[in-house]
Amino acid sequence: MRRVAAVARNTFRESVRERVLYNLLFFAVIMTVSGLLLGELSIRQDAKIIKDLGLAAMDLFGTLIALFVGVGLVSKEIERRSLHPLLAKPLSRDEFLLGKFAGLGFTLLVNVGLMTGGLYATLLALRRGADPALLKAVFAIYLALLVTVALALLLSILTSTAVASVSTLCLVIAGRYSDVILNLGDVVPGMPAWALRAVMILIPNFRNFDLKDRVVYGDPVTFGDLGWITAYAAAYTGTVITLAVIAFRRRELT
Amino acid sequence: MALLLAAAVPWTQGRIDARLGTHRAQEEVLYLWSGDQVRRLAPGFEDLMADVYWLRTVQYFGGQRVYAVNKRFDLLLPLVNITVTLDPRMQIAYRYGATFLAETYPMGAGEPEAAVKLLERGVRNLPHDWRLRQDLGLFHYYFLSDAQRASQILLEAAEIPGAPPFLTTLAAQVLMRGGDRETSRQVWRRIFEQGEGPMRNNAAVHLAQLDALDALDNVNEAILAYERRTGVRPAALDELRRTGYRGPVADPSGVPFAYDRATGRATLARNSPLWRPQLK
Repeated sequence: MRRVAAVARNTFRESVRERVLYNLLFFAVIMTVSGLLLGELSIRQDAKIIKDLGLAAMDLFGTLIALFVGVGLVSKEIERRSLHPLLAKPLSRDEFLLGKFAGLGFTLLVNVGLMTGGLYATLLALRRGADPALLKAVFAIYLALLVTVALALLLSILTSTAVASVSTLCLVIAGRYSDVILNLGDVVPGMPAWALRAVMILIPNFRNFDLKDRVVYGDPVTFGDLGWITAYAAAYTGTVITLAVIAFRRRELT
Repeated sequence: MALLLAAAVPWTQGRIDARLGTHRAQEEVLYLWSGDQVRRLAPGFEDLMADVYWLRTVQYFGGQRVYAVNKRFDLLLPLVNITVTLDPRMQIAYRYGATFLAETYPMGAGEPEAAVKLLERGVRNLPHDWRLRQDLGLFHYYFLSDAQRASQILLEAAEIPGAPPFLTTLAAQVLMRGGDRETSRQVWRRIFEQGEGPMRNNAAVHLAQLDALDALDNVNEAILAYERRTGVRPAALDELRRTGYRGPVADPSGVPFAYDRATGRATLARNSPLWRPQLK
């Protein structure tokens, strides 16, 4: 466990060194500008738009980081051949992989946490109240980011960096079209029900993690709802990480 | 060198805007996409896209300005439709869209039926919102002159939890005294009190028009009295002062009333911001 934590710590430091958190600057600019301008432009819709904008930015920036940094987590170490000396130490491949996942997970947590702070600061500065329900949407976004990291890790182990980036992006996009997948039977009438079901299970349903609209409009999101979303994320991420561990064990390192 | 080139960017942009128009991108987006297409393109970001279209709508049709300056009102309905398709719960988009669809040019598109359809869509999507139903009733009364239906809808609005008690009174008033100026004043006062931004400004203009019509009634009575007393019509409205008339001879915006000595009638001047073709 300590070794996993050490790899995670290093991954976080590396992310900071690689200026991954610079996206926070963009976020800060977006929040400040929107806070200053929206009151005039939107006919008192500023609070709603700031919430929409803040949550969408967390979702978008977070997904991009999870995807592109996630894909490079292991493959970069292999390409730079920096993995060999690491594995020569008392560190198993499983621990290395889990540490990498945890490290990026923590980077994303810091990223999302700071963005949440920025969002609340903007709302408070405009005297629009700090609605705690927003945290529920933020939590769901974070879970979606962990799923994305897991997918990026698995695919980067199975294929090249470029193919992994494209295929992870495709899966993330497909997962946001779960309603279309659900209605695939209408578009392709000959498609057997089991095949449709298989597609639905294989592709992560990112719609599950989209609570933005509900929290912004004050719809109830119970802890039961959050519990099931967490359980889905845990099951999906756990499966993908397990597959990644198996694939990484079998991967030949040249 | 870099500074020179950087300074050239806004300058060239200004030249392009001058040649092609500032709002060209908006039209392109409008004619390429429907709300459903935008929804399909941005899964998970529908609300944000709705906000973008809402801001475009307000930016183009004016946040605080009431009068159209080279505005194309044919863009209003598609913009609002895209907004509410992406975010069916954005109440303000229905109210704003309906207001400027219903008003006659230069304040709006002059399409009250489309405005009522938009409000009906809003009422379907937000069945527990009394304000939208109230607006639907008021629009039926004021723009479609259907007092019966207006009264019925206002009563429905009154039954929604949280609705103010005045809706029941207003429903009865609309039905019993439909068409009179005092009822119209009540209607626009309600919209003014609840309105925001341009909708509030629009209601303020209607209230000023009603005041102008009251003032015109007094002026025209004074003209008749002057004619009865002197045997001739006044050459100008200022002459009414000689007979003791103390009321205003200008509308609430300060523009003097137009006066036609041949007919002996004062009317709103065409250069007044309150003038509308249907106001007689």
